[in-house]
Amino acid sequence: MRDSDVLDNNPHVSRSALEAMHGQVFGWALSRCDFEQTVAEDLVQQAYVELLTGRARFDGESSLKTFVFAVVQNLSRNRYRRMATRLRLLQKAGSEPGADVADMVELGEHDELWKAVQELPARQRDIIELVFCRDMTIQEASIVMGVTTGTGRVHYDRAKKTLKRRLAND
Amino acid sequence: MTDIDKQLHDALRNGQAKAEAGRIPDFDMVWVRAESEIVQRRRRIRAVGGIAAAAALVAVIFTSQFRPTDQEWEFVDPDEFASSTSWVAPSDVLLPKHRFDIYGDIPVLIESTDEDRGTLL
Repeated sequence: MRDSDVLDNNPHVSRSALEAMHGQVFGWALSRCDFEQTVAEDLVQQAYVELLTGRARFDGESSLKTFVFAVVQNLSRNRYRRMATRLRLLQKAGSEPGADVADMVELGEHDELWKAVQELPARQRDIIELVFCRDMTIQEASIVMGVTTGTGRVHYDRAKKTLKRRLAND
Repeated sequence: MTDIDKQLHDALRNGQAKAEAGRIPDFDMVWVRAESEIVQRRRRIRAVGGIAAAAALVAVIFTSQFRPTDQEWEFVDPDEFASSTSWVAPSDVLLPKHRFDIYGDIPVLIESTDEDRGTLL
């Protein structure tokens, strides 16, 4: 880690380390906002702002990747909280729901399973994505999600059971 | 890795790769935007601070302009105070005038006539 690379307000974080995981962080942000490009860009930008200003301070208690993913997760939660009232109003007005994520990608070999994953309850989907797609352990994924490892394991097992049943039916 | 694990791994990698394909913005671009957002945020804070300071200054000037200057301070006159059973608080622009009669307003204390070893209770 070059000295000049280290963030002033976050001595354990370097710009180059963030650059190396930028793609993964952006992918995580995309899945936090139903794959809306501009929202995901905004989430990542906000995460960098939090790190640059030191409001999100990394002390090396977890891996940097886990930490940055957790920052994105918290920012997206805050965003949804702010939008909750607006969304409820829109739903009352009978507006069309957003495009199905599974419909946004071209169909292929594994798309039934991909669609099944997207249809899982939010926490089950998150832990499956973090473990299988972001190469995290259940413990790391639980930190990102803000739940205990035990709770994370429960979500993970339930998700796998659901997906197993879905595969057996297919 | 079990069979279901492998299928999940492949499906998610595949789906995620398709969903993210060509969408990842340039790191430098996002980084520069984050830095400029911090600069803008600081400017906003400074501007709001400046406005607040100016408003405070205006308020101080305004109140000092309209403060009564011909205020006459009054003090308790011991002779007047001793010769009367009533007292009026000295005039003060910040305090409402308070007037009370020491015999009329102070509640009568209940006296006990019971005694214990020669002392009234």
